[in-house]
Amino acid sequence: MRRTRVDKVNAELVTLTYGTIVAQLCQDYDSNYQDVNKQLDKMGYNIGMRLIEDFLAKSGVGRCANFRETADMIAKVGFKIFLNVTPTITNWTSDNTQFSLIFEDNPLADFVELPDDGRAQDELWFSNILCGVLRGSLEMVQMQIEAHFVSDVLRGDDTTEMRVSLVRYIEDEMPPEEE
Amino acid sequence: MAAPPRHATMQSISNGSTAQGTDRPQTQQTPQAQLSQQSPGLRVPSNRKTIYDRHLNRSRNAELSRASFAFLFGEMVTYAQRRVTGIQDLEKRLNEQGYPLGLRLLDLLFYRSTSTSSSALSSSSTSSSPPNRPLRIITLLHLIHGPLWRLLFNRAADALEHSVSPDTPNEYMITDNDPMVNTYISAPRDMSMLNCAAYVAGIIEGVCDGCGFETKVSAHNQPTELWPSRTVFLVRFGDPVMEREKVLERAGVK
Amino acid sequence: MPSNTRGVFSLIIINKAGGLIYQREFQSGLRNLSTNDYLVLAGTFHGVHAITRSITPKIPIAQPAPSPTTSSTGTTAPTASGYSYPNPGVPVSGLDYLETDKFRLTCFQTLTGTKFLLFTDPLTGSVDTIIQKIYELYADYVMKNPFYQIEMPVRCEAFDRHLGAWLRGRA
Repeated sequence: MRRTRVDKVNAELVTLTYGTIVAQLCQDYDSNYQDVNKQLDKMGYNIGMRLIEDFLAKSGVGRCANFRETADMIAKVGFKIFLNVTPTITNWTSDNTQFSLIFEDNPLADFVELPDDGRAQDELWFSNILCGVLRGSLEMVQMQIEAHFVSDVLRGDDTTEMRVSLVRYIEDEMPPEEE
Repeated sequence: MAAPPRHATMQSISNGSTAQGTDRPQTQQTPQAQLSQQSPGLRVPSNRKTIYDRHLNRSRNAELSRASFAFLFGEMVTYAQRRVTGIQDLEKRLNEQGYPLGLRLLDLLFYRSTSTSSSALSSSSTSSSPPNRPLRIITLLHLIHGPLWRLLFNRAADALEHSVSPDTPNEYMITDNDPMVNTYISAPRDMSMLNCAAYVAGIIEGVCDGCGFETKVSAHNQPTELWPSRTVFLVRFGDPVMEREKVLERAGVK
Repeated sequence: MPSNTRGVFSLIIINKAGGLIYQREFQSGLRNLSTNDYLVLAGTFHGVHAITRSITPKIPIAQPAPSPTTSSTGTTAPTASGYSYPNPGVPVSGLDYLETDKFRLTCFQTLTGTKFLLFTDPLTGSVDTIIQKIYELYADYVMKNPFYQIEMPVRCEAFDRHLGAWLRGRA
């Protein structure tokens, strides 16, 4: 992997910008958190389709030989570059198609407390945009995946965990629809 | 005035900088003390990884990839664009998204300017002197031009000017030769008036409002050959602010 | 060395579906191609590229009992389990470059399927570095521009500006 200079910005600007995006969605969708989750995933998907080019251009990495290698690439290179964290990969299924990412730190959720409305902690996945980012970027390199959060410290859970499953490798090279 | 609905927008998701007493440094506390600070209705992880257990200065010098910001900001623009009808509408929405940041950053700025390194640990929660909020326009503008810009963009803004027209003594201009938020953005030709730094204008507006200076701030393209994305933030203070400014001037308040 | 740094004639970018999404000449004096010519060129190259991928010969997987390595090119049965690409660790690529006495066309296809075609003087050196830098500029000023729609023609003023400035800086 090539070592390139990564341009930086103040982390708080990123955190607060993500916060204002989620807050805006909560307002636009009238605190229907299922809809907010969906919209965050969609936004992430749009980002992922673009971000993958940045990832490939700046990291210079090649194609992964298998899904385990892909998981390593996501956790150790992708998250490191874009969020400066390295989630732990764990809980592989025996067929090597599903794994979990455990986030010790999550810059997107720094300074965040969910609304105390009796619902947000049960319904909102604050960092759901990340699931979409993985889905969008992997689709561009011919992998259809599914990703969702199963726990979040913002909900009072002890860990923040995302589950990632490989659905299939995409054979054709037709362009995906933009959402 | 747009103040009431705007404040309402920031209630739901609180990025804790304003949600908590920011003038109170978080030091080692007993569990009971922590409990008293938390909203009783929210569950917390057993390892107590909540915003109240982490120091507010934890991320003070933290950095993240500029690409991440660019993608988030870009998606904010795309999302906003789908829900508006014109350029002005889009800028208004971006402004509104920046506004709550201004309110929060203001508190963060004061907190950090009063609690410098050692004093943050030694000062007790109540005895520290209240932060000096700007009372005069020029002090406020310097706060924006310097500390705010440095917090957000790691450098001061490039210029601060007062309107030379006698008709608009309430107008000030803050110039950024190369706004970070616009680095990767090329507006389409039919939207050449658009300036996505309206987001930053909203941040400025939030800071001013938070200080009690009713203001309208807008971002304008003023390109030069050397600085193609040079942006001027036009800060227009409301009449009550100008009135007060005259009173303070006479009273000799700095 | 002047001969190493000059000689970048033009660039075209082809999307996944084979559509021309960007075309720019960096030097005057090139034979003028019409937009239509470029569209045809993009489509044709895209097709030829795909063909060169699909005709990549496979060789039989080495058996414990050594058998004579016939050069049987299984062009019609790429799924044959007894065969493999030479050098299985290296992914199959398509046409990488075309060269005449007067110019060289270098193709770089990203893992997402976008193609960058760079026309240079045959003597121009470090073409890979140039294309890599173009890919980075594309990732910055095209992909991070919210007004750019994926797979659509690239009209990003900042991309044009930075690309031009960078290439001029090299010359």
